[in-house]
Amino acid sequence: MEFSWPWEYDFPPFFTLQPNLDTQKKQLEAWRKLVIDYCRHNKIFVLDVQESMPLFQNKTIDRQLSSEGIKRVLEILQENQQIEWCDKSKKQCFVYWKTPQEWGNLIYRYIIDKGMTNTVCTFYELTEGDDVKNEEFAGLDKSILLKALETLEASNKAEVIMFGGSEGVKFF
Amino acid sequence: MGNIFGTKKKTRVTEQDKAVLQLKQQRDKLKQYQKKILTVIDKDKELARKLLKEDKRERAKLLLKKKRYQEQLVEKTDKQLDTVEQLVHDLEFAQVEMQVLNSLKIGNESLKEVHKLFSIEDIEKIMDETREGIEKQKEIDDILAGALTTEDEDAVDMEFEEILRQSLPDVPQISDVDSSEIELPSVPTEEPKPKKEKIGRDPVSLAA
Repeated sequence: MEFSWPWEYDFPPFFTLQPNLDTQKKQLEAWRKLVIDYCRHNKIFVLDVQESMPLFQNKTIDRQLSSEGIKRVLEILQENQQIEWCDKSKKQCFVYWKTPQEWGNLIYRYIIDKGMTNTVCTFYELTEGDDVKNEEFAGLDKSILLKALETLEASNKAEVIMFGGSEGVKFF
Repeated sequence: MGNIFGTKKKTRVTEQDKAVLQLKQQRDKLKQYQKKILTVIDKDKELARKLLKEDKRERAKLLLKKKRYQEQLVEKTDKQLDTVEQLVHDLEFAQVEMQVLNSLKIGNESLKEVHKLFSIEDIEKIMDETREGIEKQKEIDDILAGALTTEDEDAVDMEFEEILRQSLPDVPQISDVDSSEIELPSVPTEEPKPKKEKIGRDPVSLAA
């Protein structure tokens, strides 16, 4: 299914930071929503921040958001805890269209439904296995998976196992 | 990740869990390997078809041979996968069995604990005492019942009947009911016969 762009995407001024602060606030909010919707639709867990990507560049109207604009949008997202920088270079960020807590709950629900408590699972099995193909967390980025599992660990629902190159998780 | 090597708090991951995890990882690797080979097979098939169209028979044949070999590999990994998964299931089931056994053990222990609380002698003693108590009560009942003589009991019965008679309900008032509605029995047409008893009794009383 094709992503349906919002009307703003075809509106040239949308790609230029508006001088009027009120207008700019609304503009940035629309951008924030667009980034989240776009990433959710395309199942993007880790965003490579590039000016040339279709998210920030509309070739049909020949407009693109400036790096300053991208920076502002990402700042807003970070304030909302919807992204987290992967490292200090700020070239990649995790996009949380679901929070790690929400991912954790979703995975735990799946485990309960399948009667897999008290069972050891590999990370591969949880995100790439044949059984999870139709689950929302299929293809989940490993770093986000780990964060999600940590939230489950905090509530004693799971325990991450790591030893000698083996990684997995046991659910309770 | 506070739980690496279970240093922070008591880990609930057993050695068997770790073994299961390693087996499952092996399973994942086998699956990934199969995926890889299957894509290669698809590609080869496509290529062989293309070569045949271009009439490069020898090369196409070679490719099909390679494809056949790859397919055998997939079959072999299938068997390995089966073995690995079988082992995983066996291990998991063994753990379930162990848990069941543990529960049974705990149940058995507590049953023993409870049993320890009362010995057979205690129970016999309690039962004896109960029996004695019942007998004693019976004796008391007998004594109490025996305190009244038969004459007393007759007097009691008479008084009881007296009270019963007094407390019989009054005859209902006729005026309460519309007299026309009451169907009265018809007057007997015959002369009433004197009761035999009376006849029999009079001469006796006279004689006395």
